[in-house]
Amino acid sequence: MSTPKVILVTGGSGLVGQAMRHVLFDEKTELAFRAQPDEVWHFMASKEADLRSPEETEKLFEKYKPTHVVHLAALVGGLFKNMSHNLSFLRDNILINDNVLNTSHKTNVQKVISCLSTCVFPDGAGAPPDLYPLTEAKIHLGPPHSSNFGYSHAKRLVDVQNRAYKEQYGRNYTSAIPTNIFGPHDNYDLRDSHVIPGLMHKCYLAEKNGTVFQPAGSGRPLRQFIYSHDLAKVFIWMLRHYDDVEPLIVSVSEEQEVSIEYVVNKVVAAFQKNRAARNEAAGSDGQFRKPTSNAKLRAVLEKSGVNFEFTPFEQALQESVDWFVENYETARTGDVNQVSLL
Amino acid sequence: MSKVILVTGGSGLVGQALQHVLNDTESDPAFRAQPDETWHFATSKEADLRCPEQTRQLFEKYKPTHVIHLAALVGGLFKNMSHNLTFLRDNIRINDNVLSSAHDADVTKVISCLSTCVFPDEKGLRDLYPLTEQKIHIGPPHPSNFGYSHAKRLVDIQNHAYKQEFGRNYTSAIPTNVFGPYDNFDLRDSHVIPGLMHKAYLAEKSGTVFQPSGSGKPLRQFIYSRDLAKLFVWMLRNYDDVEPVILSVPEEQEVSIEYVVDSVVKAFQKNRASTDPSKPFDVKIEWNRAAADGQFRKPASNEKLATLLKESGVQFEFTPFEQALHETVDWFVKNYDSARTGVNKQ
Repeated sequence: MSTPKVILVTGGSGLVGQAMRHVLFDEKTELAFRAQPDEVWHFMASKEADLRSPEETEKLFEKYKPTHVVHLAALVGGLFKNMSHNLSFLRDNILINDNVLNTSHKTNVQKVISCLSTCVFPDGAGAPPDLYPLTEAKIHLGPPHSSNFGYSHAKRLVDVQNRAYKEQYGRNYTSAIPTNIFGPHDNYDLRDSHVIPGLMHKCYLAEKNGTVFQPAGSGRPLRQFIYSHDLAKVFIWMLRHYDDVEPLIVSVSEEQEVSIEYVVNKVVAAFQKNRAARNEAAGSDGQFRKPTSNAKLRAVLEKSGVNFEFTPFEQALQESVDWFVENYETARTGDVNQVSLL
Repeated sequence: MSKVILVTGGSGLVGQALQHVLNDTESDPAFRAQPDETWHFATSKEADLRCPEQTRQLFEKYKPTHVIHLAALVGGLFKNMSHNLTFLRDNIRINDNVLSSAHDADVTKVISCLSTCVFPDEKGLRDLYPLTEQKIHIGPPHPSNFGYSHAKRLVDIQNHAYKQEFGRNYTSAIPTNVFGPYDNFDLRDSHVIPGLMHKAYLAEKSGTVFQPSGSGKPLRQFIYSRDLAKLFVWMLRNYDDVEPVILSVPEEQEVSIEYVVDSVVKAFQKNRASTDPSKPFDVKIEWNRAAADGQFRKPASNEKLATLLKESGVQFEFTPFEQALHETVDWFVKNYDSARTGVNKQ
């Protein structure tokens, strides 16, 4: 463990990349996950290299000469962009992932941890009856949801590529599968955003404009959310300790599933605590439950003896809301005037 | 409207069959090249399709309106098992280059060639058989050649994505086990029928025992390359859907490996009787029953194909199995020295 590591983080300025920076360098964070003396960390953003280009990817690797890679970069988008651009999401992400893995292999990078997503899992409709809870072994047991099949297949292919690099070259290139992530530096653009940042932004606007939002649906669907800072800690732990090619689901336990109604209430409470009281928000039901098992994660963490605990949900929300309010002007909020179209 | 059709992988098993069906004066006129069609057969010597620029140049040279995409990195079981990354990556690049060059050049239709090996492996899946076009993605493929299989499956996904985003009708065909002249007869690599042919040929030539492996009981559907070629021609002219079509004989025409062995020997005997009646083809068959059988059955349904053919009113019949074997054996005997036998590589 004393040979120095040079770690390149692609997508370094996104939700998870920023969380990693925070966990590694902020003096208030837990020591166990802070950057170690034998680690040099580089965070790159798309301005620096277009990873869809093999040449630019190669130049990036020549510049930093990484020994390890945390690969977070991807072409992502919300539901609407995905639904009408499946080819772009499929093709661009395949190009990005292939360039990163292939360049890593050619430059003898020891470990690459890619970031998948629970959307890669088979769709509930028409899937085998024992599909839930989702586990690492179930990724390829049926087609993903049709709305973003391009993105999902590109992500699934990373797992296939990892196994192929292992089989042919003995490489330990692996992946993590986080459930729904939230935290500071999220994407709050209402056309695009995921559940929590979307609700946060709507709450904020409703209070600001003096309007009332009514949550759509029953609020009963359940989800497992993971705080970006916690996910970052797990990525760091995986980088230092996880040597398997099989992916790892990174999630809170099934028992910590929360309903959308609960989320709405807690978001509001966080704003109240932050500044003022507000009401409801909107959102559609989607699938009722998509429970994911974190049994493997708990087992490997326990085995490695690391002290890790998930940040309590309310605390994570509070930190996220505090950041959002403080950084609204520079956050990724999209064109707020489009709100009335939703 | 005139068509310019580019066939990638033009010199392979299926490409050669296409050339025969389109040009040979003895073949069925319904599938012969039509006056408004110009056909180009490209091989790997002409362009390395793993390279985007070379692919683009190939398209600029021929300016196709249609493409039959047969080119792929293929190999037998052993090559696949230890080179999954190469088979995955090279085939993804080939397919992506062909589809994206086709899209950029505004090609009207691309028909890619999948394979029944892309289907899910039977482990843990109920109701998998018979295979149908809907079952491609309901589980992981067999692990021995997962690289190749995933690359092929991705073609179907890409076709759907090109359809969804750009309205393209790029589609695919899924043949079952293909055999015919110009096959790969290299014993390390070959599929069932060419492998058995080559073994029988060598056994007779060297006066040794012909030893097919296994029990002979597994059943398979085989399709003659020239029948497959006719169906590709038919799809090019008549099929406008993005969903793939399984190209296979009906399930009832499954044959056992033992039946194949006996028919292959009979085909050699018939060939010898016509070329040198004074020296009958005589070989002793001894099954090596210690060797493992593959899966007992992997039946595929050809109902979609049968329905489409009927609806389109085309007259098509599969060549009887024995006749197809005779033609293949005749070709093999005549062309042994130039066929892909791998003999010199040893």
